[in-house]
Amino acid sequence: MSLYSGAVKRPVMTTLCFVAVVIMGLFSLSTLPIDLIPDIETNTLMVMTSYPGASAQDIEQNVTRPLENTLNSVEHLKHITSQSRENISVITLEFEYGNDIDVITNDVRDKLDMVESSLPDDADNPIIFKFSTDMIPVILISAQASESMPGLYKILDENVANPLARVEGVGTVSVMGAPKREIHVYVDPDKLEAYSLTVEQISQVIGAENRNIPGGTFDMGSNTYSLRAQGEFDDVQEMAELVVANRGGSPIYLKDVAVIDDSVEERAQKTYTDGQQGAMIVVQKQSGANSVEISKAVAKMLPSLQKRLPSDVKLGIIVDTSDNIRNTIASLTETVLYALLFVVIVVFLFLGRWRATLIISITIPISLIASFIYLAITGNSLNIISLSALSISIGMVVDDAIVVLENVTTHIERGSDPKQAAVHGTNEVAISVVASTLTLIAVFFPLTLVSGMTGVLFRQLGWMVTIMMIISTVCALSLTPMLCSQLLRRNPNHGKIYKIFYTPIEKALDKFDDGYAGLVGWVTTHRWLTVIICLAIFVGSIFLMKGVGTEFFPTQDNSRLGITLETHIGTRTERTDSITLALYEEWKESYPEIKVFNYTTGQASSDNAWASLQDNGSHIVSMNITLVDPSDRKRGITEIAEQMREDLKRYPAFEKVQVNVGGSRNGSMGGQSIIDFEIYGYDFTQTDSVAANLKRVLQGIPGTADITVSRSDYQPEYQVVFDREKLRLYGLDLATAATYLRNRVNGATASRFREDGEEYDIKVMYSPEYRQEVEDIEKILIYNSAGQAVRLGDIAYVGPFDTPPTIERKDRERIITVSTVVQDRPMGDVVKDAQAEIDKMELPQGIAIQVAGSYEDQQDSFRDLLMLGVLIIILVYIVMAAQFESYTYPAIIMTSLMFAFSGIFIILFLTGHTLNIMSMIGAIMLIGIVVKNGIVLIDYITLNRERGMAVRTAVVNGCKSRLRPVVMTTLTTILGMVPMALGSGEGSEMWRPMGVAVIGGLTFSTILTLLFVPVLYCLFARNGIKRERRKHAKMLNAQKN
Amino acid sequence: MKAILVTFDQAHYNKVIDALQRSNCRGFTAWEHVLGQGSVSGEPHFGSHAWPSMASAIISIVEDHRVDEVLGKLRAIDLDRPKLGLRAFVWAIESAI
Repeated sequence: MSLYSGAVKRPVMTTLCFVAVVIMGLFSLSTLPIDLIPDIETNTLMVMTSYPGASAQDIEQNVTRPLENTLNSVEHLKHITSQSRENISVITLEFEYGNDIDVITNDVRDKLDMVESSLPDDADNPIIFKFSTDMIPVILISAQASESMPGLYKILDENVANPLARVEGVGTVSVMGAPKREIHVYVDPDKLEAYSLTVEQISQVIGAENRNIPGGTFDMGSNTYSLRAQGEFDDVQEMAELVVANRGGSPIYLKDVAVIDDSVEERAQKTYTDGQQGAMIVVQKQSGANSVEISKAVAKMLPSLQKRLPSDVKLGIIVDTSDNIRNTIASLTETVLYALLFVVIVVFLFLGRWRATLIISITIPISLIASFIYLAITGNSLNIISLSALSISIGMVVDDAIVVLENVTTHIERGSDPKQAAVHGTNEVAISVVASTLTLIAVFFPLTLVSGMTGVLFRQLGWMVTIMMIISTVCALSLTPMLCSQLLRRNPNHGKIYKIFYTPIEKALDKFDDGYAGLVGWVTTHRWLTVIICLAIFVGSIFLMKGVGTEFFPTQDNSRLGITLETHIGTRTERTDSITLALYEEWKESYPEIKVFNYTTGQASSDNAWASLQDNGSHIVSMNITLVDPSDRKRGITEIAEQMREDLKRYPAFEKVQVNVGGSRNGSMGGQSIIDFEIYGYDFTQTDSVAANLKRVLQGIPGTADITVSRSDYQPEYQVVFDREKLRLYGLDLATAATYLRNRVNGATASRFREDGEEYDIKVMYSPEYRQEVEDIEKILIYNSAGQAVRLGDIAYVGPFDTPPTIERKDRERIITVSTVVQDRPMGDVVKDAQAEIDKMELPQGIAIQVAGSYEDQQDSFRDLLMLGVLIIILVYIVMAAQFESYTYPAIIMTSLMFAFSGIFIILFLTGHTLNIMSMIGAIMLIGIVVKNGIVLIDYITLNRERGMAVRTAVVNGCKSRLRPVVMTTLTTILGMVPMALGSGEGSEMWRPMGVAVIGGLTFSTILTLLFVPVLYCLFARNGIKRERRKHAKMLNAQKN
Repeated sequence: MKAILVTFDQAHYNKVIDALQRSNCRGFTAWEHVLGQGSVSGEPHFGSHAWPSMASAIISIVEDHRVDEVLGKLRAIDLDRPKLGLRAFVWAIESAI
């Protein structure tokens, strides 16, 4: 018993089987997490080796190079980059996507064990550091404060950070921009000198006084008591009364030589939100936790946390990454629902029967819902890729059901009972339904085999569509016939409303059929003319291709801008602050689209993990700007970014400017494309001048913005160079002298002040006014062991120096990267112009320039996708050739692909979209969809010929009768894509090119296929007949002779 | 005794069996899938790509007096769904065991 006769005979079982599938699917759906893109396993490892005291060059020679040479042999390595700077070497290993990072980590560890012995003795053991996307903060919370500012760190740490860290899935929570409390003992060097005291003595006294020491136990009467010497300060000001020395019989109190200042760290980052100072709380997730869930929980907690804070502290959300995820998924879900609605309307218009439409409407969701089971089993999420797969499939899953439904209807109209018709009708088309599914699987299954970044993204698309197609076929061969046998009627009675409504549609469709038949009649009599016109159109469209730009990923408007500004290296924080404030005032006025404006300036303290990973320094400003939702503003994010870049040109104080759409520069998806020009060469000065030259050249090319050179400037600093001979003469060594210097400028941590269970550093140092000039430094007194004093200026030279910057290497060669953001112009065009300019440049020997960045990713992915395209075309040909048992027919059908590609070029050209990964995926999908039309036509034409019709009659008749199914399936696919192509919700920039490409390609190719394929068929069939005739004539001649 | 050979589109199968049963003709032999085409009109039933539909055939040996009744019922079925096609042929049985 076949599947369909079984299903028709056992309607209850069939129904319940599918109900079970739906229930499991819906249950899976309820458990699916939401995310933006499928989980991408990290492919990057970092190896950090510190070698204290070594210069950048030493590090490069003695640490980085031996490590690189050994690590280079690790399997699946794509690129090896390194940074050698003072004291540390950081090597970044980038691997091919899709490999098990744990296995690779072990390999790397083995290699490191091998090389460790050849590293310098003083170098520490290399540490492996796994970088992952989990480190990107999920949510940034701002805290604005005024009176509470001095104690803000403690307030936030206790009342916000700690409770938030207890939320499930939250990894670390760090507070940025709020300085920690610190107690400073600011000494006056002149007074110290007068009493011949030192900072060291004072800090020793403080350390010795601020103590609680247990004194053991003693027995008194019948009891035992413990004894303690209690000396810790209860109040900071107690310190002022400490006796630090005795001179001439009178005590010298600390207050005589120093001022006690209970305040905050001297150097700290400052965070401003909407112009008011405050702090930023960074929430990172645990590895594998779901961002949307976390942000939901955090947002829920905020009001209750707010209540615990002093009234002047206000919490707010700066960036919530899950906002974008939620909005994107919501707008894509809407797209899927619209697609579903459009498809149902088309089916109703063409079939004209509500019962048939009902059957189709029941079968579509089943295939879609079943795919959720796959997502849940494989641990995937509901993301852009899986929802796009749903949207794409809606138009295709109906096809199988429609073919079955149509044939069953024909049987019923001929007189069969619905039950018999369902079995026999399905039986007749079962093979072609399976074959057409196979063609689509031939297209989508190879997507699961793509490697690299593209592979990670499209593997899920491939699996989803393949699974949905298989389920829709099973559905078409079981559920659809069962529903037909139950729901369809032999002589449906149409009501009045139906007649009024549907008669004009019916008439229009009939006219359409007739008109098309006439046209096919005309083209089949003007065969060569048609062929020439069609080919001319194809060739013409290839020329249009030149006008279509290429890029990697479309830029997405996620309402986030990340801006990094750098003033001249070494600029004081106060100066940077005041310029930034001016910029803030201006932007707040000119960009009403800004919802939250947050910026951070200054040097991060080293114990803040998140902050110290970011670029920071007294001259660096990093901004997080959140705009209102895209639908609530007129200007797009790229337009705003462009305008901001223009504005920044009026602030020459900012020497380096980066305006990053989407928040960060490194995200390969969603942000603006970045082209990296890599300059390889050993010599510093030569490569520096090439980089400067290249930067100038790039500035002249339209479409470039934010050009940055990776090698930072020589950092100016003051160095204290001791004269060793003089040191010896005074009985000093370098370490002692340097410690004296450090204790006076940076401060000596004397002890810790304890209050309410928290500890705060007590630092003894020179008062700020005594450490502002080089002379102040030179005046520092250094005592030897005999108590004799000497001024630092007498034994050392203090002067300005430039330290060489970090040495960067890639693939074991020194490199400088000049990067540019691509703005308002396709990336391919910018690269072409830049390449032409680079070719004109005269490069010194041994220096080479290579293009990388998004461009390299794009080239890799395009190559992968082209290979995939060829593979898919071959597979589809094989499936069709097997189905038709012919080599010619599939070749005829394949010609419709030419027009699909023409259509893509034409529509991309007209709409101004670029050729990117998404439109390429659209093109690949088209291979499967377009040949389906050809299959339907050719199949019916051969059927007509087998029934004994002449070639032209068979063609005209076949085309006329297959017009409706072809137009209907095409329309369902196109209308399924329309919401994607026109969508204006958040994230729609991502899938719009795909929708546009499919619509353009499919429309154009369907129109031309409907004319070109019949003509080609006529030509080939005629040749076949002529050949037969010649053979026959030969045979007759042979018989005569 | 007469033999009635009924050849018809397979969609009629249940109806033909039903007609025989209702006429008290218990015995029959059926071929569910047979190929064939009509002498005058109607679609061929070849089970091929061009003509995918199939026919069935039933032979039933009935009492002489039941023949007319059976043929009447079969004719009614044929007239009801003329496009499917149903033909019946009757001849005499000379002997049987």
